[in-house]
Amino acid sequence: MTFRDAIDLALRNLRQAKLRTALTVLGVSIGIASLAGMVSLGLGLQEQFVGRFTKSAMFDTITVLSPADRPGVMAGGLRGRGPGRGGARTPEKPRPPLDDAALRAFAALAQVKEVYPNVRTVVELKYGQFAEPFVVSGVAMSARNEAAFQTFAHGGFFTNETDNACLLTLDAAKRVTDRDPKELVGRQITLTWAATVPGADGEPPSDSSLQVRQVDAPYTVVGIVEREPGPPTPVSNYSGVMIPLAKARTMNAIDVGSLQALRAPAQKQYASATVKVTRAQFTQDVENRIRDMGFNAVSLNDALTGAKRAFIILDIVLSLIGSIALAVSSLGIVNTMVMSILERTREIGIMKAIGGSDGDIRRIFLVEASVIGGMGGVAGVVLGWVVGRVINFGANLYIQSQGGPTGNLFSLPIWLVAGAIGFAFVVSLMAGSYPAARAARLDPIQALRHD
Amino acid sequence: MAPLLEVENVKKHYRMGESIVRALDGVSLTVQQGEFVGLLGTSGSGKSTLLNLIAGLDRATEGSLRVFGDDLARMSSAALSVHRRRNVGMIFQSFNLISTMTATDNVALSMMFAGVPRGDRDRQAQELLGSVGLADRVGHRPTELSGGEQQRVAIARALANAPHLLLADEPTGNLDSRTAAEIMDLLHTLNQRDGRTVILVTHDPSLAGKHAHRTLTLSDGVFVRGPES
Repeated sequence: MTFRDAIDLALRNLRQAKLRTALTVLGVSIGIASLAGMVSLGLGLQEQFVGRFTKSAMFDTITVLSPADRPGVMAGGLRGRGPGRGGARTPEKPRPPLDDAALRAFAALAQVKEVYPNVRTVVELKYGQFAEPFVVSGVAMSARNEAAFQTFAHGGFFTNETDNACLLTLDAAKRVTDRDPKELVGRQITLTWAATVPGADGEPPSDSSLQVRQVDAPYTVVGIVEREPGPPTPVSNYSGVMIPLAKARTMNAIDVGSLQALRAPAQKQYASATVKVTRAQFTQDVENRIRDMGFNAVSLNDALTGAKRAFIILDIVLSLIGSIALAVSSLGIVNTMVMSILERTREIGIMKAIGGSDGDIRRIFLVEASVIGGMGGVAGVVLGWVVGRVINFGANLYIQSQGGPTGNLFSLPIWLVAGAIGFAFVVSLMAGSYPAARAARLDPIQALRHD
Repeated sequence: MAPLLEVENVKKHYRMGESIVRALDGVSLTVQQGEFVGLLGTSGSGKSTLLNLIAGLDRATEGSLRVFGDDLARMSSAALSVHRRRNVGMIFQSFNLISTMTATDNVALSMMFAGVPRGDRDRQAQELLGSVGLADRVGHRPTELSGGEQQRVAIARALANAPHLLLADEPTGNLDSRTAAEIMDLLHTLNQRDGRTVILVTHDPSLAGKHAHRTLTLSDGVFVRGPES
């Protein structure tokens, strides 16, 4: 008996009991739908989360923090990003300083594309009657490619790094003006800060003659960015006001912690720096090497590793819940097969009498069970997909009404489709193995006497 | 060459509750190729039990059954199924056709177990149905056929895989006398014209006497006349 023969016989048998077959297939499909739906939900949530994460910054980015920052402080700094840390440093530490020499060392590492310090300082922003303190940050020209700068509410990115140009976030723009933020584009604002003299010329001040002067710099608003909602990240270039990095580096804004650095600009230290690698796959490697150099380095990978672990646990829990329905439906297969064998006892006896072996009989019933499983698997994936779309639609309506971001809560990758159908197949084979063994063991003489 | 069938001092005992039923209690028999042997006996005499043992549907408690010298007792259950499909063709009183299959499918089924490819077995099945006079009934299901026609389908099925031995267990028991005569004539023709070996189990001495080369009578699990009489 060939495999094809077994399939033909199984299909013939299933057609004999259409209603029973349909009900059993429906049971399996509900089980598979619940399992695939649950896993799909877990994957969808994970994709939503990771997607937001990826959008908010890039995975090829490592943030190096000044070694002075202890881990606890560092963690707080990540969230708070307090102003005025542009030149923070702590001397008398055996650890290496995060200075220009360190940046050059990072740049020399393999697979490193770009290194620049993160410059943030507090300025006063003036626009007409409006005057309030803002955090200004320097944005590297290469950040143009980051997802964060792909969608502008109004205007666009800097055209070069020498103009006095600035970007505002939509929130900041709304604070600055009561009118349509769009009108700000092309307007001039004034940034005011305290700088060392003669900081602007780069000439080191003498010990006794450290002077501070007020700088009022006109900046033209060139773009307004809409901040993507997402988790706070350690490598964001965002702040209310953003100016080209080259500009930010020459502000020489005064900072309480930086007096010594002001006297010796060559030893200037940074609170943090950004290291970009050529490809995201090298991030971990470069991050480890920077750590080996004695610096604190963090990247999205770190946060993502923990998140992924949490999602694996979520996926397991969801699939366990989904499996309950599948377990019930597998009992349905057992029941159907046992009934079918009882009904066809005489037929089994005849098959044995005319030369069917125990193995042939077992195979016929195993194939029958797996055909039920296969059909149930396919129907289940379709059912799960449809139910998922419906729930997704409803959930998004609700999320929208609450003002949240919409998205796909369910994800059904091809491997899940194949896996679900394959799993239905395996489960039905296991469910069918007991009835099939029972059929194979039937005594042909007894079976032939059976009505 | 070893004879087609050698049955030697075969016993088959069943346990029924406390007592032991001796369905066969020391039976010996040799059948040569081309013979037509009648097995007579009343109900419960053990004749069907003997037929089932020869068919390899059951195993003897004691003694040996050899087909061309191969002892059935030493065969695995898989080997016994090969014996059933290659060496024997069974014909039953109640026909035992699969009611949901057409005549062709019923005949082709045993060839399917023998691994004959689909096209070949359908063609052969239709040839066999033609040879038993059912050329115009190949697509009918058992319920659409008369008793005699059903038994002809069963005979065609027994002939599939060209077995050495036809085992007929009361093949005319459910048929009227005219149809019964036709079926007996068919078995007779298969024996005379085609040289098929037939063992016919019946309780009707006249039926056996008319067609069989020799008849043996079983009573309480033993032959009452000498086996070779």
